[in-house]
Amino acid sequence: MRTLLLTLSILPSLALAQTEELENPGTIAAVQERQYRMHNELSFGVGVLPIDAFYKGLLAQVAYTYHFSDSFAWQIGRAAYSKNVDTGLRTQLQRDFGVLPTAFDQVEWMVGSDVMWSPFYGKSSFLNRSVSHFEIYLLGGGSIIKLTSAFRPAANVGLGARLYTGEHLSFRLDITDNVVIVSHPFNVPTIQLSMGLNFGSAE
Amino acid sequence: MIFRNWRALLLATSALVACGKGASNQVAMSPAKRAEVKAFDEALDDYFSGNPKNAAPKLYAFLESSPSTDENYGWAQFFLAKSLIDLRLRHAGNVFLARIAHERGNPAALIRALEELQTATERPHDEQLIEEQVFSSLDLGFLPDETAAFAHYQQGLQDLRNGNERWAQTHFSKLPENTPEASRAKFTLLVTRLRDGKATEDMEEQFLHLSQDKKLTQETRNEAMLAVARLRYEQHHYDDALQAYEKVQLPPLDPGRATLYLEEAWTRYQLGQIHQAMGLLTTLDAPSFREEFLPDKYLLRAMIYRDLCHYLPAKRAAKELTRRFADSLESIREREELTRDLRLKRAANAHGATKRAARFLGSLNLEMERLGKYSGSFGSRLFSQLTKVYDLSHAEASRLYDERLQEALRAEADKLLHAAEQVRLMEYEVGLKLYERVKKGSKLVLPEEEKALLSEEVAYRFEGEYWNDELRDYRFSLKSRCIEENAP
Repeated sequence: MRTLLLTLSILPSLALAQTEELENPGTIAAVQERQYRMHNELSFGVGVLPIDAFYKGLLAQVAYTYHFSDSFAWQIGRAAYSKNVDTGLRTQLQRDFGVLPTAFDQVEWMVGSDVMWSPFYGKSSFLNRSVSHFEIYLLGGGSIIKLTSAFRPAANVGLGARLYTGEHLSFRLDITDNVVIVSHPFNVPTIQLSMGLNFGSAE
Repeated sequence: MIFRNWRALLLATSALVACGKGASNQVAMSPAKRAEVKAFDEALDDYFSGNPKNAAPKLYAFLESSPSTDENYGWAQFFLAKSLIDLRLRHAGNVFLARIAHERGNPAALIRALEELQTATERPHDEQLIEEQVFSSLDLGFLPDETAAFAHYQQGLQDLRNGNERWAQTHFSKLPENTPEASRAKFTLLVTRLRDGKATEDMEEQFLHLSQDKKLTQETRNEAMLAVARLRYEQHHYDDALQAYEKVQLPPLDPGRATLYLEEAWTRYQLGQIHQAMGLLTTLDAPSFREEFLPDKYLLRAMIYRDLCHYLPAKRAAKELTRRFADSLESIREREELTRDLRLKRAANAHGATKRAARFLGSLNLEMERLGKYSGSFGSRLFSQLTKVYDLSHAEASRLYDERLQEALRAEADKLLHAAEQVRLMEYEVGLKLYERVKKGSKLVLPEEEKALLSEEVAYRFEGEYWNDELRDYRFSLKSRCIEENAP
């Protein structure tokens, strides 16, 4: 009985699909050349280290990325310096509870390298007047982080989006997390906005 | 703004100098004359202080009270015309500018009037008034180079319209080679020869040259490139024709023209690129082209389905034409008044001389409505004069439009009947194929391998949403169901 009901419920949609296929057989796709292709990318960015309760880092980063194809790239090197601003909590702990400044480990700078995989490439319409192209990518790699007390290795994962504004210029938003590898691992997330300059073409 | 003020200052200076106005002259003037000059000055002040609504009735009053020999008469006409144009009563303005050109009382005002009339031709305008009565009858000796070039071009064009190519050539030969008019003249001459069936061997080369001529507008260059493509198509050089179609440059996100896509689709069909041809037919279903009158589209779609042995869709595509244009076909067969058929009328209005006449008539209607707003501020005399001007022009424009519409309707009706005839043949042919016996041992034709995406390509599956940047890039995919007889 249940099978019969199921069959009866599916039948109309199947019939409709078949009719549509009969009336308009075939599929249609818009096939276009990618309007923007990356090759050698030099990026300059600013960002924040937002998560530590005792300080906030204002990040400046420079990176070079080589794009092997439209979907795969290697961010060969990135170097970031963090200008740290103490939060009220840290000031209060130091002032009211006599906590020593050395007790707060801060990120001073970091260097690293990542691979980038961009499975999503698309376009969007802005107010029905212009078309913007974008891509979304995943990042994975490693970092060396200089903390106040020591150098530490970290594994880096992240998600990013790129908005193309021209053949040679694009803007990136990267959200990454460096998992610092110590006996008690901790996270150093970053949010960065950068400008990517593209040299050469991947063609 | 600064530019505008400077221009106003220059205009005022030139007007004052040309008017011969000055304190010393005023001393010798009669009181009546002095009052006239004062009224003229006030009107100019109003005009240059950005108040054409006040300036217009004063200038008209001055024109009525002054003889046409008055030294300020020409300038009064000019600034009255400018005031009316500023008030977006462009046709009325053009009428006064044309009067300056006919009367030729003030050479300085005449040159300015001709420049304004030349600018007016960029919008819907009275072709008879400006092009035939003014520019085509001008004595060209005294004109500045730019205006003279335009006038030569117009006079040549008029000769071409009257079927006198030799006279037209005389005018065109006087155009300096580096002017846009010289390029336009070449283009017009070639188009006329093509229309009259006088195509020459080097015509394609000449059109190709014009398609790269930066002095022409992009639209005209595209027209030249389309002409190249059509010539190549006619000579069955489909590959070359396709190259020419692909070179037609559209502004970013511009949907382009339906005829361009349809012609390219036919070319691709002739080249056996039926999937790409079908992609272009998909483009023609976009909202931008929904109002286009393209009976061929249905026929080509049916032919492509037929070639892929999808006979039912082929039959349906062919019938779509008779279904969609059933009312129009009925009207034609019943010999009804074709102007009542909105679809045919829209098609007839869509191009050529009828389109220009319809646009001019439309602009006259708008301006007549606009004129009503000034009934109070213009005063009864100017208002009644302008009403008369518009009524006469409207009557003439309507007559001309109706005349052109009848011709265009007949042509569109012919096109539709021809397509309907083709569709009937197609239906018959498909009907035969549908019930054809399949011989023993026949096999399905091996499907053509679909072109794989290249690394630099991206594909966006079409699901009914049209993006203007994709209109030239649709690719259709459908496996052939044809059967190969005598297969091993």
